Amino acid sequence: MKFFRTLTATVTLVAALSVTAFAAPKSIKVATDATWPPMEMVDANKKIVGYDIDFMNAVAKEAGVTVEFKNTAWDGIFAGLDSGQYDAIISSVTITKERQAKYDFTEPYTSIGQILVVPKTDKTSKVIANLKGKKVGAQIGTTGAFEIKKVAGVELKTYDEIGLAFEDMAAGRISGVVCDEPVAAHFALQKKEYRDKFKVVGKSFTKEAYGIVVKKGNTELVALLNKGIKAVKAKKLDVKIHSKWVK
Amino acid sequence: MTDNQSPHKAIEVGDGAAIPHKSDSGLFTAWRIAFFGAIALCLFLAFGRSDQYMAIFKFVPDGILVTFKVTLGSILLAIVVGLIAGLGRISTNRFINGLASLYVEVIRGIPLLVQLFYIYYALGRFVKIPDMVSAIIAMAVCYGAYMGEIFRAGIQSIPKGQMEAALSLGMSRGQAMRQVILPQAFKVVLPPIGNEFIALLKDSSLVSILAVSDLLRRGREYASETFSYFETYTVIALIYLVMTLFFSKLIGIMEERLNDGR
Repeated sequence: MKFFRTLTATVTLVAALSVTAFAAPKSIKVATDATWPPMEMVDANKKIVGYDIDFMNAVAKEAGVTVEFKNTAWDGIFAGLDSGQYDAIISSVTITKERQAKYDFTEPYTSIGQILVVPKTDKTSKVIANLKGKKVGAQIGTTGAFEIKKVAGVELKTYDEIGLAFEDMAAGRISGVVCDEPVAAHFALQKKEYRDKFKVVGKSFTKEAYGIVVKKGNTELVALLNKGIKAVKAKKLDVKIHSKWVK
Repeated sequence: MTDNQSPHKAIEVGDGAAIPHKSDSGLFTAWRIAFFGAIALCLFLAFGRSDQYMAIFKFVPDGILVTFKVTLGSILLAIVVGLIAGLGRISTNRFINGLASLYVEVIRGIPLLVQLFYIYYALGRFVKIPDMVSAIIAMAVCYGAYMGEIFRAGIQSIPKGQMEAALSLGMSRGQAMRQVILPQAFKVVLPPIGNEFIALLKDSSLVSILAVSDLLRRGREYASETFSYFETYTVIALIYLVMTLFFSKLIGIMEERLNDGR
């Protein structure tokens, strides 16, 4: 019986502790794959920064919660949400039908499109279809990868991080990279090592919108975040954040 | 790693899947249960109620082929590198000996994952090598170091008298090595090389970080698109298991044949 008494005591203690934890201002854990500059990245001080980070903090402030970010690899980021390691994902996640079937999204908070980046030496390619018989890279599990896959005759190569795809293109192993427009601009137009090597071609060829992802059925959190997003948009804070990060 | 065979008691622990031997009935039965169990489970999943598993089985086969290519290419190259390193390690030339020892020590001190990144991305800045080739080179450079130690131990396990006898018959050192020592050493090193092969087959999953579309990469691509993580990695694990068990058995049989022929 002693065992049960200890058990009951422990359970009570844990319950008491968690109640106190909940009494404090609510904190939510948010995952992000900080390898997607300028939307989310790790700066020189090992801090996670970027458009999404500023936006999330603004939303949280308006919604009256605090945020704790977790840097998580992209191809397991949804699995971590499934297993409850964090409450939400803000990581330039495009709202797609397939993702909506498994997860809940907030209202869209910004719109972007996919765009193609090729080496400057390539004078002819304008769209992915021009790269038939060649390899085109994207980050694994991103809408960019899905777009390449749609084009018959082009070999898709997927990378853990988009930076590795650009590095592989610099090494001449692939002929193009597809990713979100702001990210393409960051690598092809601003990054010193790549500025002279790559160019962004054409215009973005998809219309996509980012949303914050939560576990299916977590309507409470979606409502809370939507309230925050609405307030941020009303105060035009999102425009400020946009001009700070996206050039 | 196998060291000089001595009459002392020594435990043998391979880093590969345990290669079953008929005398080890416990392991032999375990092999059967695991192997046929895994195959049965694969079939059950593929033709079971949900067609999701079938979709995964249809998605990954080209990945299996790539895994094979990388493994086979790496082991062959690693044997060549290992033989050179092993011969270098027993060389009486101080420079060659030092160089081979340095290679073995440096490579064994760096994690394979780091080596893969290094050879693929760092060296990719200076030399243009296709992805699969650089994956194979990276794996071979790493495993060559371990293989070198196996060869060294194998060659040193052949009694010194044989070399002396061969030399007294008028053979040159190279001739004696090629015609007398190495053929015998190969028999000795075959089991540990078999173990290395199995270990390499499993470690080949690391090349998926290099955007080489091997079995694991294919699985990750599928999972990241469909979010069926549990189902995908169950299938991937089963396929790896069937492969390693199949090859461990094959190597076991090969070894037995060799012993019979003695």
